[in-house]
Amino acid sequence: MRRVYGPLARFVLVGLLAASVGAAPAEAQNVIKLGNLVDLTGPTSDQGKDIAQGRTDAVQYINERGGVNGKKLELVSVEYGFQPPRAVAAYKKFVEEDKVLLVLGYGTPDTEALRPYITKDKIPYLSGSYSGHLTDPRQTPYNFPGGIDYTSQIRIFLNYVKETWKDASRNPRVAFIYADNAYGRAPIESGRAYAKEVGVDLVDEEIIPTILTDATSQLLTMKKKDPDFAYINTNTQWVPVVLKDSYKLGLKTKYVVNNYGLDERTPSLAGPAAEGVVGIQDVAYWGDSVPGMKILMEFHQKHHGTDTHASPYMRGWLWVIVAAEAIKRAGNNPTGESIKNALESFKEFDTWGITPPFTYTNEDHRPTNRARLVMIQGSKIVPMREVSVDRSMKWIGK
Amino acid sequence: MKCGGFRVSYRADERIFDTILPIVGVVALLAVLCVVPRFATTYWLDVLNRIGIAIIGALGLNILIGYTGQISIGHAAFLAVGAYSTGILEVNVGLPFYLAIPLAAVITSGFGLIFGIPSLRLRGLYLAIATLAAHFITTFVIVHWESTTKGVLGLMVPPATVFGLPLDSDARVFYLIFALVAPAILFTKNLFRTKVGRAFIAIRDRDVAASVMGVNLLRYKLLAFVISSFYAGVAGGLMAHHSRILFPDSFTLLVAIDYLAMIIIGGLGSILGSIFGAVFMTVLPEVLKLTATSLTGVYPQAFGLIASTRDVVFGLAVIFFLMYEPQGLARIWVRIRSYWQLWPYSY
Amino acid sequence: MNEQLVFMLQLIITGIAVGGVYSLMALGFVLIFKASSVVNFGPGELVLFGAYVSWATILQMKLPLPVALLVTLLVAIGLGIVIERGVLRPLIGHPIISVIMVTFGFASVIRGVLNMTWGSDTRPFPVLFSPEPFHLGPVPVSPVHLWSFVSVLILLAAFSLFFRFSKTGMAMRATADNQQVALSLGISVKWIFALSWCIATVVSALSGIILGSVRGGVDFSLADLGLKVFPVVILGGLDSVAGAIIGGVLIGVLENLSGGYLDPIFGGGVKEVAPFVALVIILMIRPYGLFGKVEIERV
Repeated sequence: MRRVYGPLARFVLVGLLAASVGAAPAEAQNVIKLGNLVDLTGPTSDQGKDIAQGRTDAVQYINERGGVNGKKLELVSVEYGFQPPRAVAAYKKFVEEDKVLLVLGYGTPDTEALRPYITKDKIPYLSGSYSGHLTDPRQTPYNFPGGIDYTSQIRIFLNYVKETWKDASRNPRVAFIYADNAYGRAPIESGRAYAKEVGVDLVDEEIIPTILTDATSQLLTMKKKDPDFAYINTNTQWVPVVLKDSYKLGLKTKYVVNNYGLDERTPSLAGPAAEGVVGIQDVAYWGDSVPGMKILMEFHQKHHGTDTHASPYMRGWLWVIVAAEAIKRAGNNPTGESIKNALESFKEFDTWGITPPFTYTNEDHRPTNRARLVMIQGSKIVPMREVSVDRSMKWIGK
Repeated sequence: MKCGGFRVSYRADERIFDTILPIVGVVALLAVLCVVPRFATTYWLDVLNRIGIAIIGALGLNILIGYTGQISIGHAAFLAVGAYSTGILEVNVGLPFYLAIPLAAVITSGFGLIFGIPSLRLRGLYLAIATLAAHFITTFVIVHWESTTKGVLGLMVPPATVFGLPLDSDARVFYLIFALVAPAILFTKNLFRTKVGRAFIAIRDRDVAASVMGVNLLRYKLLAFVISSFYAGVAGGLMAHHSRILFPDSFTLLVAIDYLAMIIIGGLGSILGSIFGAVFMTVLPEVLKLTATSLTGVYPQAFGLIASTRDVVFGLAVIFFLMYEPQGLARIWVRIRSYWQLWPYSY
Repeated sequence: MNEQLVFMLQLIITGIAVGGVYSLMALGFVLIFKASSVVNFGPGELVLFGAYVSWATILQMKLPLPVALLVTLLVAIGLGIVIERGVLRPLIGHPIISVIMVTFGFASVIRGVLNMTWGSDTRPFPVLFSPEPFHLGPVPVSPVHLWSFVSVLILLAAFSLFFRFSKTGMAMRATADNQQVALSLGISVKWIFALSWCIATVVSALSGIILGSVRGGVDFSLADLGLKVFPVVILGGLDSVAGAIIGGVLIGVLENLSGGYLDPIFGGGVKEVAPFVALVIILMIRPYGLFGKVEIERV
């Protein structure tokens, strides 16, 4: 064994050198690189897997059709386990070594952490985080949330409560149930303010921690305040737990879940506890009859037909479609800045029907103010109606 | 020709550098380090910065675990205290970095003192579990004391300024970090030729016997925790200036386990081991990332598969080293070195 | 009954129910420690393993339930042998820090392998228990929790009898006491180690199945629960089976009570940290827990 060490050490050293040299920036002018941050091993890995797959597939699809303006797209993918320091390190590499023109971001903490960097480097950042804090171009000119922001969603919830409430003798009572992290907290302050504005009583807030065994004590505390409605803004995997515990306790509260929390898997994960639960749908579900779904399903069938997919997969495609369109509009020599300007030229851009059309302007980075309310009935997700909130500048950046 | 360690005076025995050659080597290394920022890309500077921070942290942990034999899984908590203290002192109190970092390190030492107290009554396993609890309690405080730490929303730290020049890029922070790494290493080396260092080693080897010999266990065990957390405080403060935004998520239990892996893979009770371990654990994920990225270019569909290899590789590396080379990379280095030194009589 | 009392009762009973799950996980931990003095710092990953394998056998391979459970248990036994033979055996006699690290190591490997094999998205867990709660007075309890508590009690009884009266059980206790003497009496210490790990992995697999049922789905966050084992075993005693059970229940109750009463004051999160505060307090006053063997671990 001893004799092996010398040569082994040399081999490892050479290997490391080779890897670092091999990763030197590619010469190709015919390739446009996009940074890709994904969580495949951390707390949101259940979403991350589908998102990564969606992005990969969309890029492959576009490249099979000749790419964008004749250039192929290339994803520089980094798995960061939802740890912001790793995301920051990956970003530095994206900018310095890979010279990406756009980053497909992921989680709220890392997206918010990178705000000053991307503004300085002028790299457009299309994020999976829909935090309201990313929507004001005056503060974060290069951040573009990839869907209807959480603040607009909580306003949709409060509007829904107001509309559905029939008892004139008192105001409806609501509670917020949210995750103990930047993502969960993002819309809460605006939610409190808006509740006051529309005359809804916020009676309780419950925090769901990152490690959850069961939510009974939180729900029991909430039960004391007896809210009529509750908004769930937690990590996806806790939604079924909250719903099931609520069902067990026989709570009468009606739940509305944010866009990430409720998807095609919720009915099977939560069972009968999911009946009557309302969700805010931002992106088409697998198999919905929208124009783009046929393309996605064909591609999926061709390449990995045995997998199952849920809405995060659609989001992966969506963000690449948006990015590709922006790059196309930026012309033959796209730069970070020209892509950003291109994004801000989006007016009712049709995302293959996967979402309501996107509009970004140089004053408002909220892509859309429309969504759909769905309800789980008979273990199926049933669409209810389209809803929207006004694009009031009062809520921008919050 | 001189054979082995040929020393004729106490003075010579205590010397850190025996001959001229190591001193020349160190000076050359320092010179190279000074020039590196001019050539390296931000990415590699970032990696080097993280290595520098890890070296300081690993040295601290090795003092506690490798030299004094006290087990602690709470290192991430100490780093967090150091980092957040630095951030808070700079943001809320307005101290400049050259006051904030030392002060934060002192605060962290105080913290270490408190968590060192259980070490007086508990040994081995129980101490490990106690430090685990300390970690969770610290995280809880950081997350919920929002008025000061901004909790999960992240604490932004302004760049340190040296004579008006803001250290806001990796190249500049590099100098700050390595300006502290060198003294840290030197201090550690010096520590172990003093009475204190020898007391630590005695405690590790057989604490009851040490106390019989007159080593005050209370004093020296606490001192080990204090010194170790001072290092962690400095490392934390540097982390604050390197990433400039602090999240509770940056200090999870995984960080503590990473540091443990550093000193175990590197070599317990060895300064060189701490350095090797720090380099290894920082570079390993980067190598994996590079491999994953280049492979993904060829097999995009395999991204998911490749990404999860990080855990497997980490686990296997730890297991491999523990089984086949329990004294770590430092031992391997010593072996390689003595192989060359004694060639052709390599036995 | 007045409202306050009902509230507290609900918290307590839920705590007992949830505590049953903790007890199950702690049981796996204690069994390993009892026989081989090895501390497993990766209990969560073993639970995760059980959850995924049972999911795979029931839903992916569509085996009938009893067969699936049997296969899961057999695979768990296999894992136990692999861990013991491949990883722990070479480390006998090494300092405790190495053993701790190696358990972190293989926990990481299990995690990575599971991720590579099945990916990280949430898989709905087959419905093994009815979701309709049944009522203990004014307090609803879900059947899953009830069943986990019942199975914990059964296991408690079984293991207590096993360790007290069976030859193998006594051999295990002897090995834990003093390996050399056990060897000299003709006990195959190697077998005992392997056996204890296998029992532990089987029990962890059971916890995985139960946790999967409680959650409704399996995903990687199951592993994070593993760390909760520590307050339980410290409270109950690292080498006491009865301690694991009682400790689990007590910690479950403590969690829920602090969640119900303290969370509103602190804005959440107390529920998770309370067991660890309790852990520190216990370590300071009575480190060997309620039922652990009184060893001189102090200086």
